[in-house]
This record gives sequence, C-alpha cells and structure tokens, in this order.
Amino acid sequence: MDYGYYPGCSLTGSAHKLDKGIRKVFEKQGHTLKEIPDWNCCGAFEYGNRNELADFSKKNLEKAKGLFSEIIAPCPACYKNLKEADEKREFAVTHPMDLFDDAFFSSMKQARDLKGQVFTPYYGCILLRPKETSIKNDTVMEEAITRFGGEVAGETVKDKCCGGNQVFINKFVTEKLSLLVLEKSQGTIVVFCPLCHMAMKTFSGPRKVVYFTDLLLYIMGETSAL
Amino acid sequence: MQTTDRALELTGYQRQDFSVCLGCKICASVCTVNDLSFNSNPQDILQRLFLGREIAAEEPLVRFCTGCYRCTGACPWNIRIPEVVRALRETLSTESPFEKAFKASLQIWGRVYEPYVLMRAVPFLLKGGYIKHMSRWMEYMGFHLPHKVKRT
Repeated sequence: MDYGYYPGCSLTGSAHKLDKGIRKVFEKQGHTLKEIPDWNCCGAFEYGNRNELADFSKKNLEKAKGLFSEIIAPCPACYKNLKEADEKREFAVTHPMDLFDDAFFSSMKQARDLKGQVFTPYYGCILLRPKETSIKNDTVMEEAITRFGGEVAGETVKDKCCGGNQVFINKFVTEKLSLLVLEKSQGTIVVFCPLCHMAMKTFSGPRKVVYFTDLLLYIMGETSAL
Repeated sequence: MQTTDRALELTGYQRQDFSVCLGCKICASVCTVNDLSFNSNPQDILQRLFLGREIAAEEPLVRFCTGCYRCTGACPWNIRIPEVVRALRETLSTESPFEKAFKASLQIWGRVYEPYVLMRAVPFLLKGGYIKHMSRWMEYMGFHLPHKVKRT
C-alpha cells in the first residue's frame, strides 16, 4: 500500500535511525512511503497558542491534499499535532504502532528470535495520552517481544514520563525522571519516541536503548546486533 | 489584559470551563512534577484561572511541567492542563534560549535544523553542563548540511 509519510524534524537529524528503521520495515512488508512534499515542522510542544500550533500542521495537511489519504507519522509529537489539526477527518493520520498488528507480525519474515533476552518496553507519554490521539493497542511492544521469544520486564514504567521535553530547559528534571525509569526497568529499553530515546540515551550509561524498529529489523535479520 | 485571561484565550478554554472541576485533585496525585519533590497542584492553577487570579512564572507546575498528560488522562473532565501551562509560559515569556533557537530555525527553514539550534544555544549549553553529553549524542545523531534541510 502507498502511504503519505511525515517524518518530522527529529527524524531528519537526531532520530535518523528511527526514520531509516521505519522506511526499511515498511519496505520489507511491501509498502511504499512517500514524503509529503515540502513539509514543515509541526511545532512540537513549543507553542502556547493553540491556533498557531495547529496552523503548522494544517499547512502540512494542505500539502498532502490530493496526494495521499493515509499519512504515517512516526514521531509521537508530530502524530498528535497532525491528527488534531485534521479536524474534518479528511485523512487517516496513522501512527506506525497501529499498523503493527497480528497480521503484520505473522507476515514478518523471521530470521532470529529474542530468546534469553530481557526487554523493557517504554512507551512514554504522547503515544498513550491524551486518549483522543493515543495508539489503539497499548501493549503492542509487549506482544511483539513475547511473540518472538523475548522476556518482558519493567511493566510499571511503560507510561512514566522521561522528562525529555525539559532536557534543554531544566536538565535536572530529565535526569531525575529518566533515572527513575531506568532504575525500575531491566535489560534493553525499547522506545519509539525520539525524545524518550534521547533522554534515555543521555542518562542510561551502559544500558542499551533501542528503537522498536531496531528490534523488528533485528528479528527480520536486517541488523546483526541490537 | 491580565495574563491569565490572555493565557486562557490561547488555549481555547473559557473561564467557565473550569467550573466543572470537582476539586478531586487526582491531577495532583498523578502529576509528574511531584515525582521531582516539588509541590505541584494543577487543580489550584485551574481554580486560580477560574477566579481570574494571577499565576507566577515561578510556580513549580509552570516551570517544570513536562507535558506528560497524566493529569488529563486521570481528570474526570479530561482538562488539558499541559496546554494551559504552555499558554501560561507563552504569556509569561519564560522561553529558554533553546526554545528561542527552535523557533528561529523554523523562521529560516520551516523546520528544526538541529546543528543550528545547538550552535545558537552554545552559551546556554556550556553554562548548563550539557557538553559532557555531547559524545553520547554523537553516537546516534545524524548530520546533514543546511542546504539539505528541505530534502523533499
């Protein structure tokens, strides 16, 4: 299937691994992602004026008009902003997590399993809240990990806040909140949000932090190590 | 105009919208800011907005809200407190140098070009002790030249 694709700013820089991962996972499954031409930043959470913020995403939707009916936005902030700006529901703004269902995992070419490895799935905030824009299945990462033989740990931290939003405002906030998450988690931390990834990576020390797409590609045999 | 009124205008909420607040303080019980050992009571902020009282920029919730929406998820009325806080920050002009650089990048490219944002925020990054994290960030950050900001 052809999807419209809105990578967002992070995925062109600090989260380029997530961008590459998403593109590859979709390609492997026979889908095509086409970027919205000349897209602009969604404004993330930096604007206090509701209308000003919505206008960024409305511009993006305007650029997608006539080209796509379904838009994939991997970054949770972009996804939330786009979905909320689409007031008339002209598009299906979809988060990739909502496409990782049973049928998806069954059709996945499995080259490796996760036996003997422990993972803490960490969703963070915006994938799960507010409920109007949350992903449909809030246990999708756990299902994937168990399905492919891995062990799930750290269930209590999955929806805690990493404080990533404050990393360049009050660093100690992010440090303290991320450490709370890290303390109560075990094994490899699996994230989806670029901001969670950054916060966890900055304060995780030797602990492994991977994107969920990295995990899928590892199972598919595309990458040799996590 | 009072800052509280201006902030409300930015959120799209009206004063009377907060009259439904039951005062249950479940927002305070789930608030991430309280994990930091600061006293944050979002319900108090809502009440003050409802009564048209001023709110100080030093308020822990205004300073440290991470926008986690735990309060909204728990609130019987789904009041979006993080968006109220963002509007308060805007009206109280509490932008950090990083946020200023973020917005400046949008003015130039329409997107966030991270090397530019980091360069502009260098004095702040030096003072804030961020440099020690640089090597970690280099492990996973991608870099591209400014003329490639708009790839599409």
